[in-house]
Amino acid sequence: MDFTTREENGVTIMNLEGRLDLASGSALKEHVKKLFEEEKTSIHLNLENVEFINSSGLGALVSTMKEARIRKGRLTLSNLANYVQEIFEITQLSHIFEIYPTEKEAVNSYSQAAVAK
Amino acid sequence: MADDVNIIGELLNQLQSPDFFEREEAVKKLGSFDSDEAIAGLVTALDDPDLGIRELAADFLSKTNSPIAAQLLIRFLGHDDIGTRNLAAEILVKLGSVAVDPLVENLVDEDHDIRKFIADILGLIKDKRATKPLCEKIWDDNINVGVSAIEALGEIGSPEAIPDLMKAYDEIEDARLQAVEAIGKIGDPSTLPKLYTFLKSDDPLVVYAVIEAIGHIGMEESVSQLREYLDSEDRSIAETALKAIIDISANNDWRLDIELPLKGFAEFLFEGIKQNDKRIIDFTLSRLPHCIDNNVLGSFIDILESVDEEVLSRIISLLGDIGPTISGALIKKMESPSAKTRLIVLDIIKQFVDDKLAGEIIKFSSDEDPGVREKIAYVLGVSGNKDAVPTLRKLAVDEVGHVRAAAYRSLGWLSTEQEADFVFNGLDDEYPDVREAAMGALIIIGGLQVVAKFTADLYHENPERQRLAVTALGMIGETDVVEPLQKAINHPEASVRKCALNALMRIHEGVDPAQLVIALNDENSEVRKAAVSALLSIQGEDAIPEVRFLLDDSDIWVKYHTICAIGELGVRRYGELIMPYLQDSQDIVRIAAAKALAQMKYSKALPILKSLNQNDNDDLAQAAGKAVEILEGVQ
Repeated sequence: MDFTTREENGVTIMNLEGRLDLASGSALKEHVKKLFEEEKTSIHLNLENVEFINSSGLGALVSTMKEARIRKGRLTLSNLANYVQEIFEITQLSHIFEIYPTEKEAVNSYSQAAVAK
Repeated sequence: MADDVNIIGELLNQLQSPDFFEREEAVKKLGSFDSDEAIAGLVTALDDPDLGIRELAADFLSKTNSPIAAQLLIRFLGHDDIGTRNLAAEILVKLGSVAVDPLVENLVDEDHDIRKFIADILGLIKDKRATKPLCEKIWDDNINVGVSAIEALGEIGSPEAIPDLMKAYDEIEDARLQAVEAIGKIGDPSTLPKLYTFLKSDDPLVVYAVIEAIGHIGMEESVSQLREYLDSEDRSIAETALKAIIDISANNDWRLDIELPLKGFAEFLFEGIKQNDKRIIDFTLSRLPHCIDNNVLGSFIDILESVDEEVLSRIISLLGDIGPTISGALIKKMESPSAKTRLIVLDIIKQFVDDKLAGEIIKFSSDEDPGVREKIAYVLGVSGNKDAVPTLRKLAVDEVGHVRAAAYRSLGWLSTEQEADFVFNGLDDEYPDVREAAMGALIIIGGLQVVAKFTADLYHENPERQRLAVTALGMIGETDVVEPLQKAINHPEASVRKCALNALMRIHEGVDPAQLVIALNDENSEVRKAAVSALLSIQGEDAIPEVRFLLDDSDIWVKYHTICAIGELGVRRYGELIMPYLQDSQDIVRIAAAKALAQMKYSKALPILKSLNQNDNDDLAQAAGKAVEILEGVQ
């Protein structure tokens, strides 16, 4: 799996591409952990190009979410492909993740939350 | 014309009839004329003994748009009967602008009650032309007329009146309150410096009015002037000052960059929220962290039971942002006798729940309300605290299905492999929601133990367990599910075979295509289609020699699917393979071939596609036309 990272309005956006499984899941966890260590606590994962996700990939996402909670950060997801969406519904993970239809809506939600505060 | 005069004359006589129906008919007919005589007749009908006839006449008069009607109606403002007076006033207001000139002319009526009435009506009409005459009337001999004129000027809202209103404040002590209110309604910021000086009045009623007026004007700079009144010992003044600040805040899109001592106003603000006062709701929410602390949180949450869903969800979200600073008070609120309150508290907590808070919530897991137990299970899952496992196990055997389902889901979110055996019990639950939740949990947990159990379940006596097993194995998607899924291609149930093929197609890695080939000859057409997709997806064009025989399958949809799947590979040299199907006896097959050949960029198909573009079957003609467009673009 490849992921590219960029910043927009204080949000670190990661575009994930390929298969999210055991190996790539571990790499993702490590990468996000590093971001948290750099005090980057607003993280968005764009899953548009994630063509496959398995149990280990889901575990990596859950663990990343847990890390975000511990660090008082925020993790959002967007652009879930149909199959990924289906898995999220069956596992009901859609209840514990903040999921947006598009990256733009997700990134905007960070600035709206800042205004509300 | 002469006829009309005669008819109207007769109708006027008819208005004097003792018979109700005759009079009613006369009014209706007069209403269809627009002459001054007819209008005069309708005005006289306002004196009719019957209320229904009076109201009918009033209705016609309101629509006349006639200054004559206004002129005649003004006479009724001095009528002995209060009902008739009010009816005339009502019509004059409805007449609006056309009544202004006659009303202004009559502002000099010798009867002060009529003058006052006229000033009131002019205020309701809100026509700026009345500003000057009303300014003059401020100085009427009768104070009631003067006060009505001031009030009317406030309603009209023209800044032209401000010098007279300021003068009225200085010179007519009994009209100060009204003058200040009128200035506030006009809303001209240039009056603010003077209004600030009025704040020093000894009369508390005037001070209220000035504060309100400043609020109406809505300038941010005024907040610093009003701020000190928030500390007033007179509670009414303090609350009036806060209301004014709220008005100013609303006027500035809730973006006031100033600290306000709001802690003492919690009760006032909460009451406003309870009454669904939109301004107070928006203001309070814009400054929630400054209004809420552990001391008032309890009473704040109590009012949330009575707010609407949209406001509740905004508040829950904001309280989530305040988070841990209020967690102590939130936990205390979990002892509330109201289940709705406890649910609201859990909705707030779930946004920031951590290990410590999860530990505190566990003690409420025997709540008498199943909705609360369900939400506790959910919040514990969100917390990610593995110490919650024993509690979730307890909730997973709750008497209520929803609670059990939530507990299984959360066990999945906690992703503890040691719980796999226990979660498997959920697949035997009597409720489908619980079985689905347990399956979802096991997909997240994954691991060898789960795969082994689901593999065994592929051959469970209950077909639903077989379906859950194949779906779960596909979604677990690890390399160790490949072998059982490949074996499932020979499963006795067609739905399992199809699902296994779909899963293998997605898993892709480690799949042995040779194991899939057998499914191309499956007796079930859905399985054959799934086999075609899986093989082409895994092997690409290398699978074409294996799947091509299905282009002539006895099932038209297998044919259709195979053509489309080969087309999706987009390999031009297989165009020749698909070409004959443009001339198939079945239109649906020809449509698939047209689409596939376009995807393959197979230009040799153009002549046949062009002829198909003229086909009687619209769908076929359209598919061929689209293919021609694509292929001509390629050329």
